[in-house]
Amino acid sequence: MDPFSPEGELLTIHNAFHGGQYSAVINHDTSGLSAENSIPSRVYKLRSQIASSQAEGIAAELEGEDSPDLAILKAYAEYSQGNTEDSVKTVESLVEASPDNATVQIIGATVLHVEGRSEEALTLLSKHQGNLEAVALVVQIRLSQNRTDLALKEVLNAKRWAQDSLLVNLAESWVGLRIGGERYQQAYYVYEELAQAPSTSTPRALIGQAVSELHLGRLPEAEVALQQALEKNPTHGDALANMIVLSVLAGKEFDEYLSSLQNAAPSHPFLTNVAQKSELFDKAAAKYTAKVGA
Amino acid sequence: MQSMLTKFESKSSRAKGIAFHPKRPWILVSLHTSTIQLWDYRMGTLIDRFEEHDGPVRGIDFHRTQPLFVSGGDDYKIKVWSYQTRRCLFTLNGHLDYVRTVFFHHELPWILSSSDDQTIRIWNWQNRSLICTMTGHNHYTMCAQFHPKEDLIVSASLDQSVRVWDISGLRKKHSAPTSMTFEDQMARANTNQADMFGNTDAVVKFVLEGHDRGVNWVSFHPTLPLIISAGDDRNVKLWRMSETKAWEVDTCRGHFQNSSACLFHPHQDLILSVGEDKTIRVWDLNKRTAVQSFKRENDRFWVIAAHPEINLFAAGHDNGVMVFKLERERPAYAIHQNSLFFINKEKHVRSFDFTQNIQSPSMLSLKKLGAPWVPPRTLSYNPAERSILVTSPTDGGIYELINLPKDASGAVEPTDTKRGAGNSAVFVARNRFAVFNSSSQTIDIKDLSNSTTKTIKTPTSINDIYFGGTGCLLLCASSTVILYDIQQKKTVAELAVSGVKYVVWSNDGLHVALLSKHNVTIVTKTLEQVSSLHETIRIKSATWDDVGVLLYSTLNHIKYTLLNGDNGIIRTLDETIYLTKVKGRSLFCLDRQAKPKLLDIDPTEYRFKLALVKRNYDEMLSIIKTSNLVGQSIISYLQKKGYPEIALQFVQDPQTRFELAIECGNLEVAVEMAKELDRPKLWTRLSAEALNQGNHQVVEMAYQKLRSFDKLSFLYLVTGDTEKLNRMAKIAEHRNDYTARFQNAIYLGDVETRIQMLKEIDLYPLAYVTAKAHGLNEECEAILEASGLTEQDIRIPEISVPISPPRAIVPTHQTNWPLRAASQSFFEKALLGQVESMTIEDEAPSGTNGFGTGEDADDGKRFNGDLLDVEGEEDAAGWDMGDDDLNLEQADELAVETDGTGVGMSEAELWARNSPIAADHVAAGSFETAMQLLNRQVGAVNFEPLKPRFMEIYQASKTYLPATVGLPPLVNYVRRTVEETDSRKILPAIPRDLESVRTNYLQKGFAAMKANNLEEGVKIFRGVLHNLMLTTVQNKSEIEEAKKIIRTATEYIIAMSIELERRSIAADESQTKRNLELSAYFTKPTLELPHRQIALMSAMKLAYTKKNHVLAAHFASRVLANSSQGKNAENARKIKTVSERSGQDAIEIEYDQFAEFDICAASYTPIYSGQPFVQDPFTGSKYHPRYKGSICRVSQVTEIGAPASGLRLLAQ
Repeated sequence: MDPFSPEGELLTIHNAFHGGQYSAVINHDTSGLSAENSIPSRVYKLRSQIASSQAEGIAAELEGEDSPDLAILKAYAEYSQGNTEDSVKTVESLVEASPDNATVQIIGATVLHVEGRSEEALTLLSKHQGNLEAVALVVQIRLSQNRTDLALKEVLNAKRWAQDSLLVNLAESWVGLRIGGERYQQAYYVYEELAQAPSTSTPRALIGQAVSELHLGRLPEAEVALQQALEKNPTHGDALANMIVLSVLAGKEFDEYLSSLQNAAPSHPFLTNVAQKSELFDKAAAKYTAKVGA
Repeated sequence: MQSMLTKFESKSSRAKGIAFHPKRPWILVSLHTSTIQLWDYRMGTLIDRFEEHDGPVRGIDFHRTQPLFVSGGDDYKIKVWSYQTRRCLFTLNGHLDYVRTVFFHHELPWILSSSDDQTIRIWNWQNRSLICTMTGHNHYTMCAQFHPKEDLIVSASLDQSVRVWDISGLRKKHSAPTSMTFEDQMARANTNQADMFGNTDAVVKFVLEGHDRGVNWVSFHPTLPLIISAGDDRNVKLWRMSETKAWEVDTCRGHFQNSSACLFHPHQDLILSVGEDKTIRVWDLNKRTAVQSFKRENDRFWVIAAHPEINLFAAGHDNGVMVFKLERERPAYAIHQNSLFFINKEKHVRSFDFTQNIQSPSMLSLKKLGAPWVPPRTLSYNPAERSILVTSPTDGGIYELINLPKDASGAVEPTDTKRGAGNSAVFVARNRFAVFNSSSQTIDIKDLSNSTTKTIKTPTSINDIYFGGTGCLLLCASSTVILYDIQQKKTVAELAVSGVKYVVWSNDGLHVALLSKHNVTIVTKTLEQVSSLHETIRIKSATWDDVGVLLYSTLNHIKYTLLNGDNGIIRTLDETIYLTKVKGRSLFCLDRQAKPKLLDIDPTEYRFKLALVKRNYDEMLSIIKTSNLVGQSIISYLQKKGYPEIALQFVQDPQTRFELAIECGNLEVAVEMAKELDRPKLWTRLSAEALNQGNHQVVEMAYQKLRSFDKLSFLYLVTGDTEKLNRMAKIAEHRNDYTARFQNAIYLGDVETRIQMLKEIDLYPLAYVTAKAHGLNEECEAILEASGLTEQDIRIPEISVPISPPRAIVPTHQTNWPLRAASQSFFEKALLGQVESMTIEDEAPSGTNGFGTGEDADDGKRFNGDLLDVEGEEDAAGWDMGDDDLNLEQADELAVETDGTGVGMSEAELWARNSPIAADHVAAGSFETAMQLLNRQVGAVNFEPLKPRFMEIYQASKTYLPATVGLPPLVNYVRRTVEETDSRKILPAIPRDLESVRTNYLQKGFAAMKANNLEEGVKIFRGVLHNLMLTTVQNKSEIEEAKKIIRTATEYIIAMSIELERRSIAADESQTKRNLELSAYFTKPTLELPHRQIALMSAMKLAYTKKNHVLAAHFASRVLANSSQGKNAENARKIKTVSERSGQDAIEIEYDQFAEFDICAASYTPIYSGQPFVQDPFTGSKYHPRYKGSICRVSQVTEIGAPASGLRLLAQ
């Protein structure tokens, strides 16, 4: 039986993980799980730890584990702590050795994509067999390459065999937010449904809802959702970044959010991007001068 | 069967019973699988399911007036349901076998059921009892129905007979007993033969035998004494009855399998029947010949029902039901000026005069056109020849060209008609018409003798043709509409609109409304889309108001839409109508019976919106004054659209009035409302707003109401109102509030009081130090004495000389500073009747942007004049520039094309590609091209001041969506084109649009001016300029408005800079001449009236104090010319009188009050008319030629005299 099917043992933990409820994943009671699901559930727990910045000790904990799943997680834990060179090498060798292992595909592709080697990541992911997470990853990589057309194709393919899956719905929303028009509203519905149900109302869902509303031009509603997200996690980088965007659009003050963002996530793409553009501005502006000095 | 129109189809298991709701668009379907479905066939939605029966449900009926329905099934049960509470109310048990049909009586509380137990039963659903059982059939009774009027029942049975039963006895028995006399009872006993069981309630009246097999269905004619029955012998039989007998009239033969049901058409002489041969057949009642038949591929038909009111039928088959009508109900009509030509149900051609509201007698009878039961489809009118073209779907489509008789003299048969085959036919010129042939996809252009002059092959597969303006046709294909030139045989324009069914031209021929099932698309005559809207309910027809508003009808509403797409509901409809013309409050239409009708509508709402769009204040005023039909919707609409001061005119509720008044800065109303409501919260808000506006008198009142003593004291201090400040000190004393006393004493510089107070609270050391610091030695000694100490006993820190509080230089408490009115002040003025000529607005549309005061019209002209000058000077340069721009964009385009390998183009790049607007390039992060554009468009060279605006726009361009765990967020791009998905049309959202600049920043600038906060004011206005340099607008009128605001901001910056310059030298005695000059120049820029008064007053006072009497008199006159009342005017009058007596200037300055001149924005010296000057390309401010090439002092961004193509703010 597919362990992710509605009756499957792993569905809860799977949904919690992709909904960003890491603490729920870490605290999930896995003692009752059958043997074949013990590794996947452990993988989720470890990934949740890494995602919630609790990667210390994972490498040590996993020392000597030889299953590819755990080996690549060890490398990933190291990678996330800044030891990129060695860990990328480990990842490369693991990808070579067991390209058919689902965890290796996902983690390997994640690392490769972050390293800017998106095509390699896509090649690795193309070997997946009915793994929705791989589909979602492909969609995101395609979107980051601005190939909305291919991303949409991927989603539509996946919808044929996994209509109701959370991940497919999310991936479709990602694509929808690129396409726009009526799709904004559809994306909004997906996120709103998640954000409004108490069990799945996470900062990620709320941000998703807020972003959809922002694109729909409904600023006050978006602000409410972002406030809620910040209440749940006042240092969420994406929430803060979107709050700044929203404040600018609404003509409001945003200094407070900006300093929070600088503290919480100094390397957030928003900040790096803006800093980069600020430099660009100065460079470009320097090309022009008046004929006569004032 | 081409004219049978399916309106709705459902998919389900076998449908055994159907019932239409008499009023709502609902249909009940009972299924073989025990379910009863309730559908809305108009929306195509399943409303409800009822599942309590066991096994198939065969009989179903709605009650005519109550929210009830009844069902009967194979579980022998009859159930009565409420569709409101959505549950079964009760069950009637008694039948001993399947229940086949159930029907409500049309007025009595009775239910009639027929069953396989061979009985027919009548039940009373009010007391839930069986009141009559009719026996006689000796096989299953398949169907039993009440007569629609008389006390009769007809039944059909597998025993091959049809029986008619008399139930008048039952009715009498169940009516009030008093109505029956003894004679009646006798008569009844005699006439009504008891049946074999002695039952006299229902007796068999006729037994009709003729079917060779079982009879499945039978029903009465709604008005005639006729019966129709359908049986397993595949025949449909028509029976007639009289008082005493009944007989078979004829048989309709055609079904080749069992015929399962049949009925009479409720309004026409037709019979409909269905059968297991998968057909629906339509028969002529009078001739019993087949008229139409419709066949389904796989599904046997089991039941048919007719809607009691409207022309709809439903048939149930193996896989669901279909709702259909037999023919189009849209009457064929054409409109020419004030006449409507139409064909009525009798196929008579008539006309209708809109001006006199008179229908003509019939002019022609078209009985012979097409098949007898098929109404004509379209009518096209040729006013020159007074002829009509009529099409009919008969025989795959025919048309006929007919001349109308001179006088309408009755339904005569037309003579001398021309005809031919074709699906559509329209006149395209006085002597030409076009005929479209769908199968061959050709259009023949014919002359009036019906000979083809030209044949056109359609450019693509199309469905219909319409008149497309002179010499043109509109071709409607499934997904596009094509404007086709007949002469040149080529496509002129094409627009992607799907499923256009009808086309309605505006009265002036400039616009066309394209109607499809759910969309209205308004396009220009050259097929450029103006607006488009979507309706969930089907759109039926449309007509144009003379002012350019489209009214359209859906199945149940009349709505309107303005050209800008703003739409709303005018009224609801009970029945479907086809709009023909609207004139003022009268809306003409045709109903489905093709009768002209006149509806009364209220056009206030759309007239008002239209006036608002056109800024026709005149019209708005008259609507406001005359209409009492303005509700909450208009108010919120106005508020939403940013016209709170107009909304204010409609509101009575004080709270709302207060809110609106605050929003639009109307203090007068706000004060009035605050007084009425008298709540602290409101006073607080009022004081804040009044302070914003500088109206300290209102502020004072609000503070008084709030009892904010501290704030009051401070207010008196800054306005220099010592008298009241003293009073505050007194009050503080009364209140025993030492802090307040101390504060007031400080404000007043009243040392004695302070010492006194300190002594009172036994703070002798402080009192002593205070006295000492102010050198009040006597007081010191007194204190020492009182505390029994000597000077040697105490040590005090070193004391510096105390500063006395500053005094207000000008006693501004006597009067308010002149107040800046809200931006749309024109409207309010107009309302108060202060503006004499309302027509200024109409004549000078450029002045209609919220600064529309009288002077602005002149201002606009001057501005235009300036522009012309520039063009004259720099003609050649301007041309070169244009070419440069072109090259730039082409180069961009090419670069984009080659850049399409593995990685796609980001949306930001698309934005830059899609737009020539600098702001859009900034949002795209393409700062280089943005600067390039600004440099070319407005000569920008110093970009540093624009950096905040650049970063602001860029920051707002993207959102960050957390996606896969462990990856950076997905970046999405924020669009202002929210509904657009075409990558060639998407554009970024730009923060702080024109509206917010106008309502927010401009007002702040005015407030700074009013508050005499000039440095701040210059900053604000410069911010406005920078903002507008990088912004986008929605339409052409907003461009004008942006220009206007740029001009205003420029004038204010110049004015404020002059005054600041003057203040910097005012103290320097040696510069008195310059001081006077600058104060005179300060009056020169075009400021709003109150602000100009400030400038004039200050110039006047300065001139007067410096003894320049001629000049002072001149300014005094100008003050008086602007307003002849109030304090300023009094002052001016005095100065004028005194000055004119003296009559000379002490210092000669360079200011010629009679000469035309502008002020150089750099040197603040005059540029006399005729002298050379250069202009800044962005702000339009003027400079002496020596400043050419330097940076504009006003914008601080652009280069004076640089060649420029003009700022682009609109994408197209």
